[in-house]
Amino acid sequence: MPKRILAVDDSLSMRMLLRASLTSAGYDVAEAEDGRAALEWLENNEPTLVITDINMPRLDGFGLIAELRAQERFRDMPILVLTTESSPEKKARARDAGATGWIVKPFDPEKLTVAVRRVMH
Amino acid sequence: MLMAPITAAPRQQRHNVLQGEFEVSSDPHLVLTTVLGSCIACCLFDPVAGLGGMNHFLLPTPPEHVRSEPSEEARRYGLYAMEMLVNGMLKRGATRSTMRAHLYGGANLHSGMRAIGSENAEFARRFLRDDGISLARADTGGTLARRLDLQPASGRVRCREVAQAFPQLQRPALPPTSGDVELF
Repeated sequence: MPKRILAVDDSLSMRMLLRASLTSAGYDVAEAEDGRAALEWLENNEPTLVITDINMPRLDGFGLIAELRAQERFRDMPILVLTTESSPEKKARARDAGATGWIVKPFDPEKLTVAVRRVMH
Repeated sequence: MLMAPITAAPRQQRHNVLQGEFEVSSDPHLVLTTVLGSCIACCLFDPVAGLGGMNHFLLPTPPEHVRSEPSEEARRYGLYAMEMLVNGMLKRGATRSTMRAHLYGGANLHSGMRAIGSENAEFARRFLRDDGISLARADTGGTLARRLDLQPASGRVRCREVAQAFPQLQRPALPPTSGDVELF
């Protein structure tokens, strides 16, 4: 059974691109449009990995990471941030919140897949 | 509204948005301007937040490349250009539901070549449709370059075709930080 990845991004275009890249690498992909929708989906699901954008309405990526790390069952789940942001301050904030890694858009599908494999295995 | 023409204003500052760039502002004295050939400029305006922005991009498709649609790299580049502009608006208080978009450019300047301009315009339309941003006006296609002015604080726009001063067709490159991965 393929491992499941939750892709969280408020851009449908970006989610479609992520889905195409990750399904072609053999992963099952679920989608959420922001941090709040991700938390709702995660109430009944347990993916192997979450990939999240930072700038999103309702609940941003920082908030999502903090909420997940506060829950015992998601304490060790890898979380990759995928964002247009590249400032060291925001990167440090994500790391401190509990992110596993940081990827700058526009992403290279091969680099993304390598990073996904590294954090999931 | 985005439809009203720009009138000359005192103390006006003009900022040229070059290919690969974007700008978001609520400065009432600023006019964003650019010249478009095959490139696309997306103008966004949010009347509730009182700000607007413009980007300027060309999907990176080599001329010799014969494809029926843009490559994956081109889509990634286009997504990046659009997302930077949309995020720039969202960060300053705009929302997707109140934003209105205009698209300009996408001319097919060179007969006998692929319709690069049309491909760029179609990409931008699809992005706006998928991302739930209302397209209020599109002036794309044709064979002439366009000069575009946007007053971001009011959303006023002026677009006129120009027979000369064609912008050079540049090969866009992905930004140097693209795809950088750092595992903590």
